Amino acid sequence: MKADVLFTPLRELGGLLRTRKLLPVELAELFLDRLERLGPRYNAVVTVMRDHALSQARRAEGDIAAGRYRGPLHGIPYGAKDLLATAGAPTTWGAAPYKDQRFDFDATVIRKLEEAGAVLVAKLAMIELAGGMGYRQPTASFTGPCINPWDANAWTGGSSSGSGAAVAAGLVPFAIGSETWGSILSPAGYCGLAGLRPTYGRVSRHGAMALCWSLDKLGPLAQTADDCGLVLGAIAGPDPRDPTASDRPYRYDAADRKGFRFGLITNVTDGCEDAVAENFTRSLGVLRKMGTVEEVTLPDLPYEQITRIILQVEAASAFEDLIESGGIAELTAPEDRHTPYARDAILAKDYVKATRLRGVMAREIDRVLGSFDALVAPGRINEAPVLGQEFRSAIRATAKDVMGAVGNGAGLPAVCVPNGFGARGLPTSIQFMGRAWEENTILAAARAYQSLTDWHTRHPRVG
Amino acid sequence: MSEPATPDPEADALFEIVRQRYGDRLTPEQLDEVRKIVQAQVEAARALRAMRLTNADEPMQPFAPYRAEP
Repeated sequence: MKADVLFTPLRELGGLLRTRKLLPVELAELFLDRLERLGPRYNAVVTVMRDHALSQARRAEGDIAAGRYRGPLHGIPYGAKDLLATAGAPTTWGAAPYKDQRFDFDATVIRKLEEAGAVLVAKLAMIELAGGMGYRQPTASFTGPCINPWDANAWTGGSSSGSGAAVAAGLVPFAIGSETWGSILSPAGYCGLAGLRPTYGRVSRHGAMALCWSLDKLGPLAQTADDCGLVLGAIAGPDPRDPTASDRPYRYDAADRKGFRFGLITNVTDGCEDAVAENFTRSLGVLRKMGTVEEVTLPDLPYEQITRIILQVEAASAFEDLIESGGIAELTAPEDRHTPYARDAILAKDYVKATRLRGVMAREIDRVLGSFDALVAPGRINEAPVLGQEFRSAIRATAKDVMGAVGNGAGLPAVCVPNGFGARGLPTSIQFMGRAWEENTILAAARAYQSLTDWHTRHPRVG
Repeated sequence: MSEPATPDPEADALFEIVRQRYGDRLTPEQLDEVRKIVQAQVEAARALRAMRLTNADEPMQPFAPYRAEP
């Protein structure tokens, strides 16, 4: 087995499997070995599913040999954030109180990927309870802080931390993460990956830990935007077990597009590290080769407060039992042991006001986006935070993240891809955010950007 | 437990609810933290309250009457 398939884009990897130049079992063995050998180095893995994976890989190998090819993910290994229910393995939600939790069914996303022939090789580490208790440090997981493959002193971001580390280190070709506010784009951006946050309702959440019913989304982290589209094509769709899963049809369209119209929010780089702002400015030069870039001012609304209050209230309700019982005292991060109590002090009328303003926000941003294919911004305001230090967060109001507040509050899709390196040699990123249900448009823009740059071809030295 | 820099009766009253409910399981340091978080929540709520809405501006939430099929 050649190590050069480790960072091979899914379309190419799938081609090798389809033509039997590569066999699913040997590919699964390669990634299982890496997960077992290197996973602990990054605190990236909760459970390696060797037996399950080899069983799925053998089935894929037989099916492909018999001409029953299921599509571009057939035979490709992947990892799942450990908030997705999987029969036959613990589902820990990254939290000590749930470390022995088991479900007897597979989440819809897991089932859909099995139908596509993908091979589940590992459950991946995450921030406890997807960060919904107010964490402010990388250590907030019972499996320890996830270490960034680009720098052993840096964090991966969260809460889909293991998903970011595992893909960046070549431990899996792609991973599934979840985002309530920033949990896909943060680890993808900090680890130099493509990360796709689909439109709310595009992907069924059945079997996923509920943090905030009206904010949770599931999506892929992978090497390229095209990879993300291929995965979304497999996991999108209606589901009678999730009433918010939309019956809008989705088919990934990988056709090239030209003449993009990009919107740039005024002062969007305010608060960014210098290198992040410089890299973004250079990215704008690339975007101008792809189309137009026009500055736009958003209506004056309390975007971050709207999304933050909805998140805080829904998370407090979702984990009411754990909080009321005092079970949060078992959580790893000290701040997660008391922060949730404060949410009893959010008034119901203020929460309802947030949900009413959310409608205003959604209509206003859709009106703005109606003139563009995507709004663009830095994926993150900084390079990956240093391990052992508190980080800034829009959820705690210690950093600004209007794109994240609007995108998650209004349920809009966004994709981030790497766009350079910062002062500490860690990846920086650019994000493309589109109108609801316009994943194909933002993916086309991100693919076009990646066709003109080579940041996604650079990988950390892992071994 | 330290007092907030600027008195805020609303935040104080809301913090008192939290303290009544959970004070026996929190240390003075944790209560201090909770007080700061409540203060931040109140300030966020004030930003929302400052926005004017019309009677027609509904919550943006999914709700549908349920009936088991068939």
